[in-house]
Amino acid sequence: MRGHRLNAEPSPSARFVDPKILGRIDNLELLARTVVEGFISGLHRSPYLGRSVDFAEHRAYMPGDDIRRIDWRLFARSDRFFVKEFEADTNTSFTIVLDISRSMTFASAGISKLDYARYLAACLAYFSSRQRDRVGLVTFDEDIVDFVPPSAKHLEIILHTIDRLQPGRRGVLGPPLAKVAEAIRRRGIMVVISDLYEEPEAVLNALKLLRYKGNDLIVFHVLDPAEIRFPFDEAANYEDLETGEAIPVIPEYLREQYRKMVAEHIETISRWLGDNRIDYSLFDTSTPLDFALFSYLSNRERLSRVR
Amino acid sequence: MMGLSFLTPAFFIGLLALAVPILIHLTNREKREVVAFPSLMFLTKIPYRSVRRQKIKHWLLFMMRCLALLLLVTAFARPFLDEPGRAVVSVTGAREAVILVDRSYSMGYGDRWARAIDAAHQAVDTLESADRASVIFFSDRAAALNQPTSDRAQLHSLIDGARLGSGTTRYGPALKLADKLLQESQLPRKEVVLITDFQRVGWDGHDEIVFPTGTEFRTVDLSDAETSNVAVTTLVLERELVSGRERVVASARLINKGVEAFDDLSVELELGGRPLREQRIRLEPNSSATVTFDAFTLPDGVSRGSIRAADDALPQDNAFYFVIWPGQSLSVLILEGPRARSGRSLYLRRVLGLGDRPSFSVAVKPSNAFGRGDLEGRSVIVLNDAPPPGGAAGQLLREFVERGGGLVVALGEQSGTADWEGQARELLPASVGASVDRSADWGGTLAYVDYDHPVFELFSAPRSGDFSPARFFRYRPLTTTGPEPMAGGVLARFDDGAIALAEKRVGEGRVLIWTSTLDTFWNDLALQPVYLPFVHQLVKHAAGYAEARAWRSVGEVLDLSQHLELAGRAFGGTAAGAELVALAPSGEKSFLSRQQDRHLLTLEEQGFYEFRSLDTEQSEPVSLAVNLDLTESDLSSVDPEEVTAAVSSRETDSVQAAGAWIPEEQERRQRVWWYMLVAALALLALETLWSNRLSRLAR
Repeated sequence: MRGHRLNAEPSPSARFVDPKILGRIDNLELLARTVVEGFISGLHRSPYLGRSVDFAEHRAYMPGDDIRRIDWRLFARSDRFFVKEFEADTNTSFTIVLDISRSMTFASAGISKLDYARYLAACLAYFSSRQRDRVGLVTFDEDIVDFVPPSAKHLEIILHTIDRLQPGRRGVLGPPLAKVAEAIRRRGIMVVISDLYEEPEAVLNALKLLRYKGNDLIVFHVLDPAEIRFPFDEAANYEDLETGEAIPVIPEYLREQYRKMVAEHIETISRWLGDNRIDYSLFDTSTPLDFALFSYLSNRERLSRVR
Repeated sequence: MMGLSFLTPAFFIGLLALAVPILIHLTNREKREVVAFPSLMFLTKIPYRSVRRQKIKHWLLFMMRCLALLLLVTAFARPFLDEPGRAVVSVTGAREAVILVDRSYSMGYGDRWARAIDAAHQAVDTLESADRASVIFFSDRAAALNQPTSDRAQLHSLIDGARLGSGTTRYGPALKLADKLLQESQLPRKEVVLITDFQRVGWDGHDEIVFPTGTEFRTVDLSDAETSNVAVTTLVLERELVSGRERVVASARLINKGVEAFDDLSVELELGGRPLREQRIRLEPNSSATVTFDAFTLPDGVSRGSIRAADDALPQDNAFYFVIWPGQSLSVLILEGPRARSGRSLYLRRVLGLGDRPSFSVAVKPSNAFGRGDLEGRSVIVLNDAPPPGGAAGQLLREFVERGGGLVVALGEQSGTADWEGQARELLPASVGASVDRSADWGGTLAYVDYDHPVFELFSAPRSGDFSPARFFRYRPLTTTGPEPMAGGVLARFDDGAIALAEKRVGEGRVLIWTSTLDTFWNDLALQPVYLPFVHQLVKHAAGYAEARAWRSVGEVLDLSQHLELAGRAFGGTAAGAELVALAPSGEKSFLSRQQDRHLLTLEEQGFYEFRSLDTEQSEPVSLAVNLDLTESDLSSVDPEEVTAAVSSRETDSVQAAGAWIPEEQERRQRVWWYMLVAALALLALETLWSNRLSRLAR
């Protein structure tokens, strides 16, 4: 099997695996492991020694404490035993909020946005699980479709849920995200994966609900390359995947205008989210998944520092 | 200079099909497929007009498609290069013109006749020197006044000499005659000018006359939008005998077919040329009224009379002419058997005494007293159960019949088989047999009656007389002794097949034999309602009586040989070889003879015809009143277009100009359409190849 071969021979070239190739792997866990392991191996650092040993504070030694955790340098200066306390982030709630509305099924070439989002979600879930995080999953279209509460034991359920995802109805951000904000009371990290086909105000208002609950919010804006570049030539009736509405379109006469509007849309969302301390990353479906993980990791690092 | 013309330019409406390639190249491009797109959020924000503002992409393909369509449409429009030179030759070619002028009496309405004459003159004036023309004045008949001629003066003269007729309008004969003249003509151009008031009554539309191809049919419509017309339609003359003189009550019926009412319309009764009575009436529009004049005493001799309504726009039909004379009387001699009881002829005398049209003067005599003096002025002799006179008297009787007299024989007890032997037998169609007694079976009935015969014609209609109740207890059958058939006709038979009534012509006279009695001795017919009219019919038929008519209608043909009453009235029964001259109201003379072929006279004029004898010194002419056919009084008109459409050749009905066949001929010779069609097909084939290539490139 090709998937097995990729796993068996993790080469540097597999670091950035083409999502189209990943799409051939039927087993989602295998896919996530392929990506994550490859990603981790490329870091040249042990993930187990990473941010989990970040110093937080000192406290007086109590009998029974591990003597390896005594700060000997401080003992030398003060002749007293102090134990180092470390920031523990391994039990952070990590919730993936995944948009499965019908617009996500669009694919101009290769894999669809939904597939890309699924792989991304799977990878993030796997990765976070490896980080000892509690992982949860919410899928939504115009309402919440699946809800897997964050838990350290829910990786299998999440992967299974992601595996059997079906495209939903039309997508709306506001109401489902409001429900998510109500349902998940414990603060944590939330990754919203969506194509964000709403006006920037609506997008911001929806995300604000999560943000204001104290969550660290990362937005992965997934778009197909064709949605950005609009490379079509032939005049045709363009049908909205969600509403079924169709309009006649001559691409060559509105391509520039379309590109401009999409760029403005992305730019506006990016700026407004930034202003609200919400991390935003744009991916098109041709972007390797490892790149997305990089993005996530860098964001998380930054979030940890801020914290 | 040559110019491009089209035979069927209506096909250019097909150019609308050019919209098809334009639509294909513009509108349909965007509808060719459906592209699923995640969201139209941005696309819908772009103004629609900017989407619709499209440019044609494949100009070459577009031009090829348009050009192919253009060629197809133009080919169907049948283009040709007009060659005026060829047409001019034809247009200036000699013309055969037929000028049809309506002379029916409705043309006398207002100034129609004057306008018709003017129009005819104008038609003649349009003729070129090489043209020929015929003038046909028509009503219900049509006759060409001349051979086709180029002499315009002659044509003008013919037109000036025409008079308004009294006939009705019929277009069929005139159009047929015109068609015949055109068919015979060798001239390249043909023209028919119809000058008429287009009366609807004259057009039945079924004549199926179509003029030769290229014939120009021109109409001059003289009809009026609204007409007003009073006509005297009929007259009833009722006679009554007052103090030995006949008095006549005349009732005339008038009709107003116009839209205006006539107040105080004067209606006059004239007799002998003098006004006799006058009445004034009001006649509502589209209505009729009856005017009854006070009775007047009938003068001796034949009188001419007329009913006249005051003149209107069409005065011709305001007069109604009639001829009246003292009532005719048939002189009947009833011969009874020598041993007859008194009152044997009571029933006969009574019923013959009741007749007034004609009246009967009846005399009764024993048959053995019959002599030459009894034949003076006699019309009919009735042998009422009397043996035929023998010897000289029998010869007299025979001669009487041979000269045209009537003989009615009623068989009975005293007129047995033996009496009708010998000379008398020749008067009968068959031998008289012994009497048959049917009293045992309650009498026989009449089983067969020849209702087509003049004697029984009166009874042919339902409830017009029933012979079936009559019972015949005895009668004498007629039998033929040899193999020869019975001379004469059987008019009625009894229920056992025996002859009841038979007829035989002897010379110019008639013999009618009734095989039972004409009283109540052998049958009860005399007690039946049909008895009186039956005896009247019997005697009238034996006398050869035909009621003289007070008037006739224009268009009737008078057959002198069939109208004995006219000749008889004029010449006292000596008309057999008479030569007559008939004087029409216009003064035109016609010579008639019963013996030769000249015994037919067509009554063409309204008014009184006079007949005079050329053989005898006859001071008083015989008059015959002739009235108009009143169907012509209906002035409603038919659309001239209807007539034009019916007679115009279908190939050229939309073409009025002379030389109309030339474009067709030119087009046929050039056949440009064929090349255009080929070019269009070639272009379409090229287009197919090109578009396929483009499709492959696009894929």
